[in-house]
Amino acid sequence: MVAPPARVRIALAVVAVALVGAACTPGGSVTQATAPPKPAVTGVPDTGPITLTVWDQETGQVSKIWDQLNAEFEAKYPNVTIKRVNRDFGELKSLLRLAISSPNGPDVVEANQGWPDMGALVKGGLLLPLNNYADAYGWTNRVSQNVLAVSSWSPDGKNFGTGNLYGYTTMGEIIGVYYNKQMLSDLGLELPTTLPEFEQDLEAAKQAGQVPIQFANGDAFPGIHEYAIVQDQLASTDYLTSLIFGTQRDQLSFDTPENVQAAATLQDWANKGYFTPGFGGAGYDSAVADFGKGQGLFMITGNWIVANLGASSTDFGFFLLPPQQQGGPAVSTGGAGFPLSIAAGTEHADAAAAYIDWMTSDHASDLLLNTGQIPLHTGASTAALQQGTLLADVVNATATATADNGVVPYEDWATPTFYDTMTAAIQELMANRISPEEFTTRIQSDYSDFQSSRT
Amino acid sequence: MDPGPQVATRAAALGSLRRRPERLPGEARRIGYLYVAPAFILYAAFNLLPLFQGINISFYNWDGITPGTWVGLDNYTEFFTDPTILAGYTHVLILMIFYAFLPIVIGLFLAALISRIRIRGLTVFRILLFLPLVITDVVTAVAWTWVYDINGPISTALRAIGLGRLVPAQGWLGDFNTALPAVGVFGLWGGFGFCLILFLAGVMKIPASLYEAARVDGANAIREFFAVTLPGLRYELQVVLVLSVIGTLDTFDEIYVMTGGGPGTATSVPAYLVWRRLFQTGQVGSAAALGIVLMLIIFAVTWAINRAMERGNEA
Amino acid sequence: MNTTASRAQVAFNYALLTLCSIIAIYPLIGVALASLYPPGPDSAPSGFGLPPTFAWHNYVTAWEQGKFATSFTTSLIVAFVMVPASVLLSILGGYAFATMRFWGSTVLFYLFILGLIIPTEATIVPLYYDVRAMGLLDTYWALIILEVSGEVAFGIFWMRAAFLSAPPSLLEAARIDGSSSWTTLWRIMVPFAKPAILTLTVLTFADSWNEFFLALVFTVNKFTAPAGLASFSGRYTTDIALVSAGAVIVAIPILIVFIIFQREFMRGMLTGAVKG
Repeated sequence: MVAPPARVRIALAVVAVALVGAACTPGGSVTQATAPPKPAVTGVPDTGPITLTVWDQETGQVSKIWDQLNAEFEAKYPNVTIKRVNRDFGELKSLLRLAISSPNGPDVVEANQGWPDMGALVKGGLLLPLNNYADAYGWTNRVSQNVLAVSSWSPDGKNFGTGNLYGYTTMGEIIGVYYNKQMLSDLGLELPTTLPEFEQDLEAAKQAGQVPIQFANGDAFPGIHEYAIVQDQLASTDYLTSLIFGTQRDQLSFDTPENVQAAATLQDWANKGYFTPGFGGAGYDSAVADFGKGQGLFMITGNWIVANLGASSTDFGFFLLPPQQQGGPAVSTGGAGFPLSIAAGTEHADAAAAYIDWMTSDHASDLLLNTGQIPLHTGASTAALQQGTLLADVVNATATATADNGVVPYEDWATPTFYDTMTAAIQELMANRISPEEFTTRIQSDYSDFQSSRT
Repeated sequence: MDPGPQVATRAAALGSLRRRPERLPGEARRIGYLYVAPAFILYAAFNLLPLFQGINISFYNWDGITPGTWVGLDNYTEFFTDPTILAGYTHVLILMIFYAFLPIVIGLFLAALISRIRIRGLTVFRILLFLPLVITDVVTAVAWTWVYDINGPISTALRAIGLGRLVPAQGWLGDFNTALPAVGVFGLWGGFGFCLILFLAGVMKIPASLYEAARVDGANAIREFFAVTLPGLRYELQVVLVLSVIGTLDTFDEIYVMTGGGPGTATSVPAYLVWRRLFQTGQVGSAAALGIVLMLIIFAVTWAINRAMERGNEA
Repeated sequence: MNTTASRAQVAFNYALLTLCSIIAIYPLIGVALASLYPPGPDSAPSGFGLPPTFAWHNYVTAWEQGKFATSFTTSLIVAFVMVPASVLLSILGGYAFATMRFWGSTVLFYLFILGLIIPTEATIVPLYYDVRAMGLLDTYWALIILEVSGEVAFGIFWMRAAFLSAPPSLLEAARIDGSSSWTTLWRIMVPFAKPAILTLTVLTFADSWNEFFLALVFTVNKFTAPAGLASFSGRYTTDIALVSAGAVIVAIPILIVFIIFQREFMRGMLTGAVKG
């Protein structure tokens, strides 16, 4: 039998070797992705068969239109096959960050703007700067500066809102208030022009035994929208935009009286029973379906449910949450929709760019218009819109907010962990488990941690 | 309990190992290395080596993509400062009541109630009682999502007997107060059948003479239980305790399917936190640290339970 | 064993066991019934009645919408490669530990035992990057290799115990015959340990089929049945009937295996846990 000391020595040696072998700074060295040169000719190069893998999170009507657009693109460029990987919003968020950096990753992706997703990808050198393609295809002239800014990052991923373009879209989103026209008139109410009037409408609906705001927060993300548009009426747009972009680092705090007041308002509405009973556990999709069936006077959510309610519907209308005071600015949360980006590791950058151009073309936006996707590009013709329909309401509201410069980006873009932090905190706020002050303190803690960690 | 046959067999293995410390037998044969090599190479490459890599990663602040920054023990001290981590561990501690303590108590109680006579058709009962543990836990979790539906059996039954106001408006899995216990009841359901069968098998093996002796001494049913049954089941208890406690620490599947850690963070557990930090929030170093600590806790718990039971054995 | 059983005692036993069994299978029966309700968010299976009509078509819809053809294929391919591989490696290793002595064998064996308590969470983070570096993300091989390396610890322990229980005379006879270790293993030991091997095979298959966490982390398109179900139920949360159909679909294979091999399952899960 071998003497123990020798055995122990050898064991220690093995462990030491293993430790040394394993000990190295994790994470590969990062080379910032360089933009491919401006193509001499736009379109797909005719260099043999190309498979483009596209990752998206579209559902319902929009997804079907994507199928159609994909088929049309393949018909236009016969050497291209599109391989589509479709996952829901939450899944895509989890999968994208790491999948895009693996050898067989996708070519084109829908990468959510903001620090958690696009910012991290840019920092890792995983997205291609699109500037040269933007020049070649004329993308920069088609949309406003705001739309480009939310997909812009400095090449090292340290600054948001300036620098290279990493994603492109011509469709926009807006959060607002849908209303049931019949119920509104039955209750003898008019469209509110101030926030206090809106609250009176809520109380009236409640008294009449109706659900004032159809709402379901089981999926966590809707809560952010409810909070955000209240906050939009109380805090200044400049402050919010700077907060989200992080341009002023730790000079700005989330813990402000306005934000506290917004939280207090939201909690107050929940306590007064203005939201659907049992909203904490219910699913978003069933809330939308219920609203469509006439349950609920208002529903606060985004333009994407237009397809569910019917673009040409005259039973439902849409308006922006009104400002605190009469004549105040029209503000809401929204802006550019999901952009398309090109993975840095792709071998078919030119084809990918041509695909993006196709999916953001006038033809595409015409098809998507009926699902409630709002075209943001210049020359978008909304003349064909029938006024008085739901779609027209949505488009008009967006135009108003845009004209007033009152479009605030989504708040969960503000830090890599903001989505998690905000969704959880809002759930607790609306269940009356934390006070508005605790709410803002908790969120500020996330915000300041991030700002101080930025180099 | 979690996750099915896997943990049951492991704990059984651990348990039986404890009582036979012995020298490995056989004649000296060098060829043994060759036999063991394939398994060991795979195992070392995909289980042992990553352990060291994980320890290494846990000392860094890493987003998973760009080079990490060394932070020493920060990811570990976070355990005392980050409320979400503390919450996660608190939650599994609470779940242990449902996943470990209650199934064992109920199993013991039921096994004691059942008279020690041959039961015909025990096989059928065994099959039925084992089903909750054997069927894929994603499937049973989906089934229980329906059970907890606001119009599902529990809610319907309560309303039928006039206790409808007990049904939380947010649903059992959406209410901050009922979500975690709801997951717990799921675990209780999963494990009680296994405990019952296990203890029943154990009880059947206790010699009748012990019971007769107790009866002669004038013991009633309860005394019999504590004097004969319980000590007789000491070994099974040890195994099931280790199994269920470890299994609870590992909980992931049902959280992912039933609650997604919510509402808020009311049902977050360590394994779920690891997953979120690895994939969603880019806190990979922290995720690695969470995993390492989980392992250390499992080591400690296994050791402690085995120690305590052994001491009890000697007494 | 107390043989004088009164009628009342027998009846009580059966009643109690029946009650427990009902509790154990009620959610499963319930969800199977729920799957036959009309699809859509309006049907509200209460678990206490029969569905108005038997919507068998839900199974077809669920099969297609949940992409179960893909996930079943993946699960089966992974299982059919992983189970033989794992069992084979366990036989080889268990045989060596049971019948041979070699320097460091104790340490090696205890290293394997360590594997029984190392949780997946401790290694999943570095494993993700390792697998990715090997270009094996989203492949069958990733799942196969990881599941095998995870199972051999238990498998070796199990087979060692099985081989140890062989009467020494068996080995003696082989040695006298002058057989090599290889021949001894396959001609004598394996036939002897057939029940144990069958048990190990069945348990390993169950582990592979039920594996969810690994599939979630390492696959995107090549997801297994449980992962497919989780994704399906996440997408169609309001359609209880449809999701229930999906659950039943995924439950059937393991259910069949369990019923056919229930003795092996019991042996695996109860032996060693029961003293004596």
